[in-house]
Amino acid sequence: MTEPTGAVYDLGYVPYDGPRTGRRGAIQATVRDGVQRVLGIRRRPRKKILPWVLIALAITPAIVFVGFAFLSSNFSPDVESPFASHADYFTLVGTVVFLFVALAAPELLITDRTEGVLSIYSSRPLRADDYIWARAGGLVLVMLVFLLIPHALMYLGFAGLSSSGFADSLIDDLDKIPKILAAAAGYIAAYAPPALLIAAFAKRKAIAAGIFLAGIPILSGIGGALIEATDVPGHRYGGLLALAEHPSHVRDWIFGRGTGRDLTPALAGFDPWVSLAVILGVAVVSLGIVVFRYRRLM
Amino acid sequence: MGDSVISTTGLGHAYGSVVALHSLDLEVPAGSIGLVGANGAGKSTLIRILLGILQPTVGDATVFELDTHKRQLQIRSRVGYMPETDCLPLDLSASEFLYHAATLAGLPTKAARQRSSDMLGLVGLQEERFRPIGGFSTGMKQRTKLAQAIVHDPDLVFLDEPTAGLDPEGREEMLDLITRLAGFGIDVLVSSHVLGDIERTCDWVVMLEGGKAIRSGPLASLVDHDVVSVEPAGRHADLEATLRQWGATVEHAGRRLLVRSADHDAFVLVRDALADLGIGVLRLGPHETTLEDVFLEGSGL
Repeated sequence: MTEPTGAVYDLGYVPYDGPRTGRRGAIQATVRDGVQRVLGIRRRPRKKILPWVLIALAITPAIVFVGFAFLSSNFSPDVESPFASHADYFTLVGTVVFLFVALAAPELLITDRTEGVLSIYSSRPLRADDYIWARAGGLVLVMLVFLLIPHALMYLGFAGLSSSGFADSLIDDLDKIPKILAAAAGYIAAYAPPALLIAAFAKRKAIAAGIFLAGIPILSGIGGALIEATDVPGHRYGGLLALAEHPSHVRDWIFGRGTGRDLTPALAGFDPWVSLAVILGVAVVSLGIVVFRYRRLM
Repeated sequence: MGDSVISTTGLGHAYGSVVALHSLDLEVPAGSIGLVGANGAGKSTLIRILLGILQPTVGDATVFELDTHKRQLQIRSRVGYMPETDCLPLDLSASEFLYHAATLAGLPTKAARQRSSDMLGLVGLQEERFRPIGGFSTGMKQRTKLAQAIVHDPDLVFLDEPTAGLDPEGREEMLDLITRLAGFGIDVLVSSHVLGDIERTCDWVVMLEGGKAIRSGPLASLVDHDVVSVEPAGRHADLEATLRQWGATVEHAGRRLLVRSADHDAFVLVRDALADLGIGVLRLGPHETTLEDVFLEGSGL
């Protein structure tokens, strides 16, 4: 007869008496869930397709540019070139981020509302404000991935190719880092709050994405048309409606480039600080409305 | 009451002109608490106030002696909540959702992973834990909802209509799970309009009707087991008169008489009265006053 070598124990219910992270932990969990949700992590494969295609679209050109620079024998990072310009790269990555935000903001807010998950958040040590800031935080983190990783690849790649040596090139170009960060912040502040505002009220994700994708460019179009309607009193203020173009106007200012490159706010005669003020104003009002709405929901 | 889990004083809440709760004064001890009332009686409103989601229009409420308005985050760290409505993310697996629910309640990641697995085993969803919740049956969703409510080992859990939408088998399983919670050291507040569910699972009952508390007390004191039901072959009036003469209380229930006595064994009184009067008996036995009787009596129906 075989001797027993093990035993099965029914532990039943085991109470938890370990540490609890409280509100801080709840906020962290909400941020983490937001990041995973917008990237499709731990979701079905089809949920991963769009965000990762967009990330590839944002990053691949930077890799290609560094590759071209490597192949180009006369490359110099000091020369303004389409391969080396961080400012120009924001034009490309800004468009990709615009598309991403249109899809991500509804995913973050609408799903919780329509599926009733908001009632779970309401029962946890989390305030309505915490929920909104955590959701916005998750969105910002992923936007930073879009906006900063390509620049980091270019910054490091071009430094590696520099004739002055990797370390010296990094040090020489240190002044670019705050400019890149500031420009990225401008794009985030311009796109994320309006997208969250629309998502806070829309009932369907596709509708929210459609309103954002169509609404922002239409506003810019109206703004462009207004500034050309010289017979309309105060027509130049129509340039302020060009929400999609304000971050580019601010970016040009940050990078010290001549402003007015066919950007509606510049054509309307507004200084970049006006564009910055519009971005911040829209952001504050949008987030304020979102917080107010969720205080009533949670 | 010093050891009250839930306490309310003059609690009221109104949605615009619609009054949902009206001057509620409650002292509810630890244990399994049943919150009974018809749809619209104010049960869910009371739970939402106790969670700090809603602010009372008037009055105060405390849970664990913590003010629900000022200390709601501390309360929420110690309680769980199973909503009546849908609350599950359909594209997430049960395992991932429970892990998220645990971290949301403040458990560190490693403990959250362990507890989510344990709770899914407890509610019988171990095999299905990696399936998306969207493909779950109603019973599986209800069990997932219960699991998320207790995944962080709360001191008190609010269960809002936990058997809603369940078939008889699923209902039995859910009631068994709720009954087991007391053994885990978790106080339970079960909100239901199904009185049988409350009788099965609770030892204290709060009855709401039109936003007012019509009864609050131990189930045993509300449900009377010392009543004798007798259906005599005739001469109902003579039997009733004799029993009343001997100090018994007599009520009519169709052709039956319901007899209770504070001083004597009601069964002995009925037997002696029948013998003395020479009345035959068609039916004689104990009558248990159900929660439904108490509720109907309290609501004046």
